Amino acid sequence: MAIPGVSIIGDRINPGFKATKALVESEDLAGLQALAVRQVQAGAWCLDVTVGPRGYQDAHFLTEVIQALQSTVNVPLCFDYPSAAVQEVCLKAYCPAKAGGRKPVVNSLAETRQEMFELLKIRPFQVILMASERLEDGSPKSNKLTSEVLGVARRMTGKLTQEYGFSRGDIFVDVTIHSLVSDLDGLTKMALEAIRSIREDSELNGVHIIGGLTNIGNMLPSLKFDDVPLRQLVESAFLTLAVPLGFDTIMGTPWNNFRILPDDNIVLQAVKEFTELKGLNAIRRLRQLWAQAKSSVNQ
Amino acid sequence: MEDHGKQLIQHIADMQEEEAAKLAREMLDSGYDPVKLLGHCREAMEIVGKRYEQGEYFLPELMLAGEMLKAIGDMAKPLIPQDASDGQAAGTVVIGTVQGDLHDIGKNIVVFMLEINGFKVVDLGIDVPIAKFVDSIKEHKPQVVGLSGFLTLAFDAMKKTVEAIREAGLRDHIKVMIGGGQVDDTVKIYTGADAFGLNAMDAVSLCKHWVPT
Repeated sequence: MAIPGVSIIGDRINPGFKATKALVESEDLAGLQALAVRQVQAGAWCLDVTVGPRGYQDAHFLTEVIQALQSTVNVPLCFDYPSAAVQEVCLKAYCPAKAGGRKPVVNSLAETRQEMFELLKIRPFQVILMASERLEDGSPKSNKLTSEVLGVARRMTGKLTQEYGFSRGDIFVDVTIHSLVSDLDGLTKMALEAIRSIREDSELNGVHIIGGLTNIGNMLPSLKFDDVPLRQLVESAFLTLAVPLGFDTIMGTPWNNFRILPDDNIVLQAVKEFTELKGLNAIRRLRQLWAQAKSSVNQ
Repeated sequence: MEDHGKQLIQHIADMQEEEAAKLAREMLDSGYDPVKLLGHCREAMEIVGKRYEQGEYFLPELMLAGEMLKAIGDMAKPLIPQDASDGQAAGTVVIGTVQGDLHDIGKNIVVFMLEINGFKVVDLGIDVPIAKFVDSIKEHKPQVVGLSGFLTLAFDAMKKTVEAIREAGLRDHIKVMIGGGQVDDTVKIYTGADAFGLNAMDAVSLCKHWVPT
């Protein structure tokens, strides 16, 4: 079920998923192709691609994977490496004609790695802009405040549009979604506030706002509520809060049944309250869900 | 009083935070041996660790258990005579997120878990320059060094850090564990570490294995 106005970049071609790791290790190109097809059928307009650390050493294999994927699906690919050298391999292997002429996506550019602008010599691309780090007095810093995230988004969007000819629609600002169970610092709330402030900023009018949604459910118990996995419900709960604020691009698993949850959904209520709490109190609120899942099983 | 000990273990293991703190307070107030009481806490933590391994508990339970142990530890430790608490640390661990990487949630949980398991932890923070690891090893003489990193780029920084430790002639005296992101056996070999851990309990197990108490 799709959410109107929200598009999906499929994130499964990543050895962070165990099943994908097995495909990568056994160089099962047909398996990776099938995974690509399944994601496109489930609604992804673009596919994120990484073969993990091997990509740093093995340009041949990376090229082979990209070519295999492009021979099967006609959507753009999104290359998931924070390294200009690996991105160069990917961009050279990419064939726009096989994606209906559409540009690939570089995932990701950051204020802390601007050498990646050089990649534009190879071919034009869309870009995911990581907004969780900033450059301050020449050294990288982790962003903990909404204003810091907004600052990076403004500086980098300005640079991309004014100096490098990007249109705002080619820029996806990544607000970084953290794992809920380890969020002691209110980072989920900060992501929501960042989405709101980016969307309200007239200088950023037209940029997309993206987040890696799979992360939010990492390390959650494998509980179910009315037969729906908790992880999926937590993903949808985040979307229910984030989409009205301006979030418009999911980096996630396309078949996860993303939807806007009703107000009285107990997972939505828990996530909402979680974002208003900090430290272990937030964690305690989350744990109440475990008990709620157990009692909903018993009913 | 033995029943109280068992009950305390159960409260902690079952995440009954308020009950655990109240009972610990009562026990200490009525003269219960604080060293013995901390022993109960460790026992409870082992149960929590087992439940975690068996998939009954998750990260939040580890965090809450850690918090309970810290709160009870703060009550009990001042009551332990000074000479008895000397040399209490099971061992010393120097830990940090390697150069170029700014992620620290996982590392902080590992620090938290090591401390409540009796290790002295020297936390160097994030984006730690290689030389800082080397200097800190010279200063604190740890048994274990923990290198954390979430980005795949961190693997190179880990490798360089391990090399620098070797060049400084310190490698033979320490064990190196890596963690965070996508570490596995291949990364362990690439970086020259002795072991990798997928979670905070792994880090505790490795340190306990390397530094027998």
